[in-house]
Amino acid sequence: MTGYIVKRLISAVPVLLGISVIVFLIMAMIPGDPATAILGSYATPENVEKLNRDLGLDKPLVQRYFIWLGNMLQGDFGRSFSLNRAVLDEVLERFNATLLLAGTSFVICSILGVAAGVVSAARQYGLADKAITFAVLLGISIPSFFLGMMMILIFAVNLRWFPVSGMWPIYGARDLSALISHLTLPAIALAVVATGVIARLSRSAMLEVLRQDFIRTARAKGVHERSVIWRHGLRAAMVSIIPVLGIQAGFVLSGAVYIEMVFQWPGVGRMLVDAILKRDILLVQGGVVFVAACYVLFNIAVDVAQSLLDPRIKA
Amino acid sequence: MKFLEMTRRGALAAMFATTALAGVSMGVAPAAAQTPPGVLIVGQIAEPKALDPAAVTAVNDFRILMNVYDGLVRYKDGTLEVEPALATDWSISEDGTEYTFTLREGVSFHDGSAFNAEAVVFNFERMLNEDHPFHNTGPFPLAFFFSAVESVEAVDDLTVKFKLNAPYAPFLSNLAYPTGLIVSPEAVKTHGAEFGRNPSGTGAFKFAEWRSNEAVVVEKNPDYWDGAAELDAVVFRPITDANTRTAEMLAGGIDLMVEVPPVALSEFQGDAFTVHEQAGPHVWFLILNAKEGPFADKRVRQAANYAINKSAIVNDVLEGTAEVAAGPTPPAFAWAYNESLEPYPYDPDKARELLAEAGAEGAELTFYVTEGGSGMLDPIAMGTAIQADLNAVGLDVKIETYEWNTFLGEVNPGLEGKADMAEMAWMTNDPDTLPFLALRTDAWPDKGGFNSGYYSNPKVDELLEAARVATDQDERAKLYQEMQTIVQEDAPWVFVANWKQNAVTSDRVGDFALQPSFFLLLDDVTKN
Repeated sequence: MTGYIVKRLISAVPVLLGISVIVFLIMAMIPGDPATAILGSYATPENVEKLNRDLGLDKPLVQRYFIWLGNMLQGDFGRSFSLNRAVLDEVLERFNATLLLAGTSFVICSILGVAAGVVSAARQYGLADKAITFAVLLGISIPSFFLGMMMILIFAVNLRWFPVSGMWPIYGARDLSALISHLTLPAIALAVVATGVIARLSRSAMLEVLRQDFIRTARAKGVHERSVIWRHGLRAAMVSIIPVLGIQAGFVLSGAVYIEMVFQWPGVGRMLVDAILKRDILLVQGGVVFVAACYVLFNIAVDVAQSLLDPRIKA
Repeated sequence: MKFLEMTRRGALAAMFATTALAGVSMGVAPAAAQTPPGVLIVGQIAEPKALDPAAVTAVNDFRILMNVYDGLVRYKDGTLEVEPALATDWSISEDGTEYTFTLREGVSFHDGSAFNAEAVVFNFERMLNEDHPFHNTGPFPLAFFFSAVESVEAVDDLTVKFKLNAPYAPFLSNLAYPTGLIVSPEAVKTHGAEFGRNPSGTGAFKFAEWRSNEAVVVEKNPDYWDGAAELDAVVFRPITDANTRTAEMLAGGIDLMVEVPPVALSEFQGDAFTVHEQAGPHVWFLILNAKEGPFADKRVRQAANYAINKSAIVNDVLEGTAEVAAGPTPPAFAWAYNESLEPYPYDPDKARELLAEAGAEGAELTFYVTEGGSGMLDPIAMGTAIQADLNAVGLDVKIETYEWNTFLGEVNPGLEGKADMAEMAWMTNDPDTLPFLALRTDAWPDKGGFNSGYYSNPKVDELLEAARVATDQDERAKLYQEMQTIVQEDAPWVFVANWKQNAVTSDRVGDFALQPSFFLLLDDVTKN
């Protein structure tokens, strides 16, 4: 087992190196440089050249890459031009905020999506099924940023139940209830589309299972219908639902970018968008490499867990 | 697994869990509480980069800095003319190369250290002298504002002398610009590269706290030399999305909002809000390629000025948040503006006539449009309206759209061989800056300037050179006014709009006014 983990970790090294080369090249190749972005109207060739020298961007590309890589291996991701702050501090802080938002959303969409799918399948073509199908299609069809804006208008501006934006109150206690009131609208807005997708796929997975013999056997044995659906049916259907949840987890994480923009959630998605627009090279590179590293490690952890659970997957 | 034992009722309960969550949070913490009196919450457009005036370039950062620091001079309330601030008085030598300032006595920085001539010398040395021990706290992108400064010298404790390498009339207004604000040398020495997050100045508010991506908090400086502020504290919140900023204003989460999108202005019509407007030193124009193609002919350039319905752009596209521009200098520079200039009227027939004379009917034009950018207002909608107006008089305009930084990378090196026209906008602090950098022959891109359309008129060059070395304001004004008349006639640009900056305050905020400098000054503002 240890050998397998080590092997997987070693195989992750070229992946991360490849990502670092790609993100470095993209930032080097896109038109517009940080000095121009900082100077704006005053970006004369002379001023740009001087500022690039001050920022250390006048060195050859290859040299710059290895300086960056070398520093990063020592834990120094450099300093953001646009925020005048250590890249790693910023990325860690922002990544936590994104994890909290996306994690909450993922819990909401998993529970609601599966439950809606099961209820829908158990009452196929019944009133509950039709109502849920309608709601689900509506949810899938609304772009999340638009839904976010509408939720702000209704629940924050008109009803004033929730704050409009941000993660913490500007003044007052930074406690759990303050966090929940800030988290509720963005987490729901982010969860809606994924809930719909999960509900649709859970419904078909359940329908598939409910047609099988062992369900008929269970019913014939006189097992209570509730138990047939939730205990026997759902357990079998989970085999095909879990991969969907995995895919949706990635979707929720990437969808967080829009929601973070609308709700001014201080997450890593909004950070990367701002950084790209400002040509904040080190922040973009550091942010992407960090997120990619987390993703790779997450994948390895999942594979390892799977091989522990399922002996058929060879370690 | 617990999950599998869930009952149908349980599933329903889960469905309403979020609603219940909402109920709890409502009960515990009234989410949209009233903001406290005496504390002004300002909705900003972005997270500031740093609170070091020498290191930043964005208006967004200047809005905070102007309340924390003072310069030697500042703009008089409601104008773009300089008046004493940390310097009480100054004299300029006959030849215009020596400026001697008398400093205000008894002023201290927020960290307790004394403001004196040595502090001023430290500030300019740090920015300009690459060998200064704290030059590495930069980079200082706008240090070239003071590139004419040859030396700064402390004559005595309260006298400072600047020697310039040549007469440079905009020097005083550059000192009033945020880049000239004076920081505490002691704080720079203590914090080094982290000074931008631990600022210390002499201003009406002192820095209290910076929570990344949430808020910058400044508190009243009770010992302010110009009289303590009315407010106890100001909180600057970065809210980058304009719609979200509008929603925060409507929900009472902020008391003051800057840069209200034109389409959102109607939301603030009621008594609960006041909309403020102030024209500033901004001009939005089209650069025309005078070197090659149809616009090499002055008549075609004038035709473009006649063909474009600027009032429609200003009133319909920009919802009245700008005024029609008459020439290259914004009217906000009242002392240097030529009042006799009238904007080119909207006259498509005259435009067709000029095009026929020049034989340019049906000419194909490439038009660079940007998606956004500093001072660019609503560039895509404006570009589309302009295209329609030009096509209506028989031109054939093709738009190419670029993201802002890419756009600058295309336009700043010059339009030759690529395009016939491009959108552009400038905000400046002195009537010298824009024409000097963008209309002189010596400012063609290959010479390091912004004259991307290759306009050249020796008379204009001469007037601008003379205005730069004239230290008498009336004399400078005459030169600028003559320059404006010539440039309007030559039409190197289509003069489109002068933006009016806007802001909204809630009914709890009093004594607020926007400044023509576009800076946000809060020391007299009240909030109950």
